[in-house]
Amino acid sequence: MIWLQLLAQGLVTGCALGVVAISFSLIYATTRIFHVAHAGVYTMGGYVAWSLIQHGVPDPLALILAIAACTAVGALIQHQLYHRLERRRATQLVILIASLGVLAVIQNIIAAVYTPNILQFASAWGGRTLSLGGVLVSYAQLLIVLVSLATYGGLLFFAHRTLLGKRIRAVASNPFLAEITRLQPQDVYVIVIAIASAVVCLPGVLVPFELGLQPYGGVTVLLTATIAMIAGGVGSITGAFVLAVAIAVLQNLSLLVMPGEWSIGVTFFIFVIFMLFRPRGLFAAG
Amino acid sequence: MVRRYWIGVASILAALAGSAVASPSFAADSIQFGAVLPLTGPGGVIGTQEQRGIEFAVDEVNAKGGVDGHQIVVQYEDNQAKPDQSVLSFNKLVDLQHVSVVFTGYSGPTLAMAPLATRKKVLLVNAGAQADKLADASPYLINTLPTIGDEIKVLSKYLASEGKKKAAILFENDAAGISGRDDYLKLIPAAGGEIVAQEPSQFGQTDYRPALLKLAGSNPDVVVLSITAGLLQLAQQYRQLDMKFMVAGTTFMADPPTIADPASKGFIHTQVQIDAPADMAANFKKKYGSDMDFFAKQYYNAATVVLTCLAKVLKEKKEVSGENLRTALFEIRKFQGLIPMEFKTNTAATAIGINMMSDGKDQRIKEISSE
Repeated sequence: MIWLQLLAQGLVTGCALGVVAISFSLIYATTRIFHVAHAGVYTMGGYVAWSLIQHGVPDPLALILAIAACTAVGALIQHQLYHRLERRRATQLVILIASLGVLAVIQNIIAAVYTPNILQFASAWGGRTLSLGGVLVSYAQLLIVLVSLATYGGLLFFAHRTLLGKRIRAVASNPFLAEITRLQPQDVYVIVIAIASAVVCLPGVLVPFELGLQPYGGVTVLLTATIAMIAGGVGSITGAFVLAVAIAVLQNLSLLVMPGEWSIGVTFFIFVIFMLFRPRGLFAAG
Repeated sequence: MVRRYWIGVASILAALAGSAVASPSFAADSIQFGAVLPLTGPGGVIGTQEQRGIEFAVDEVNAKGGVDGHQIVVQYEDNQAKPDQSVLSFNKLVDLQHVSVVFTGYSGPTLAMAPLATRKKVLLVNAGAQADKLADASPYLINTLPTIGDEIKVLSKYLASEGKKKAAILFENDAAGISGRDDYLKLIPAAGGEIVAQEPSQFGQTDYRPALLKLAGSNPDVVVLSITAGLLQLAQQYRQLDMKFMVAGTTFMADPPTIADPASKGFIHTQVQIDAPADMAANFKKKYGSDMDFFAKQYYNAATVVLTCLAKVLKEKKEVSGENLRTALFEIRKFQGLIPMEFKTNTAATAIGINMMSDGKDQRIKEISSE
């Protein structure tokens, strides 16, 4: 039964990680920017929601307002930082450093305002549990899974069935052609980062209901999500999500045979194996 | 123009030289102590309480005219709980301010300063850190509270007496956590118990479900903790997973949000006993706007020990030096600050209680000496 509980735990963690991975994949596949500040937006969402709930705002409304805040910050970063750097012909390395700078600023502002101590959401509903076939899950965990699956499905639908989604895929596949056919890639980039920031806010708020808030916790999550994105195939929403779940499940199940400190090693081991046999990722287009 | 330039340079050099020469410790007007504490950064919350504890004791004495007519001044340096920063701060206090006492906290920084304290014969006073290595890190390092090993010895005997013989260890993979893990590995079997499993965690980790599930697989009677953060989340996840084993630990577990949460009901931990009188606690709260917590009390207590030693040195008309203060400490040996303590070694022997968390409170169920 313990393995079943570990499997459930892995699925929950994997679903949350999957949403981070698909949001990061969306940004990277379209803009080719390694937007590490995405970890800061992820973290910021949780703190915004926490502050609002502390002031009596109902949980669902706090989530919506946190999403709005993250969307705005993401769009601002693209419009005021990345776009300006690209106009000045900055290299990808310079943009990466700038993104790291934004991440550091966000994290340090959060730490200064809220302290580096772990903060807990006051809402009691998240901790209540139910038994699903003998496996105990909390309400927060169940919500994470449901919201993650809905987000995955929603983004797939958006990418393939909506006009904006098709425009984004067109820009991602050929930015130069998109420019000359007046698809306005720069506007698309802002929209993409805004959408991705809104999406990443979901696990950014729901996961801390379970695990608490910390200013510097987003980086590890983003790193693992990046591995899932690359191993799944850059630009593949399904690839990023499936690999994120697979990584989390394997990390949890590996505890049955090895100490927990090796779980990150397991992650990188999986990544190396994939890169050796399938360098373009599991779900990359042929 | 050139002449004015050199006059300016000479003036600046003179000013710097003047500021570098601090008043000697035995000057009639004031006596300076130093304190190297984390006032910002991850340890800032605890460090601030430690600072307040020292300040509270010193202000109390100064209000009554000081020690033998000398006002006490404490120079604080912020080390952000970093060992390298602590060394710089220590040298600054000793070499520039000529302090004979430095208060410290956190194991890493204290261990970094200990060799310097030996070499420069400065009394290093620790009232917060508990790593076992602190017990013999320096003849000039005094610890006013028991080490983790002392607490784990008491806990191990208690658990064995309660029939909790099979223990699993959950420890933080850093200096403090590994030190605690090593103590459990040694002391639980010595008390008649058995270690059935151990699992590391990372500092700041809050997802303990995988680790708890893995340890549960070994069917322990008790899981003993050597972690310093994420306790509330651990308690909540323990309860959500409906775990059957007992959870026990040391003073590290005395985390107010964890105690207040119903999920921690039944958790056992050793607790270095220290209480403040109600009026003192009320005055502290009035002055600083926060409760006089464990660390504030410990540092208040440590400051009163040092001030008692200082009074003896001044009464005997000796130089206020680390060496003389240390000698005075071992001559006095027994102190009655907030708690009775005795210095037979560099580490004070004090009472260690066994507490149980229940209904939002941390209730004492047994008391044992740390000797």
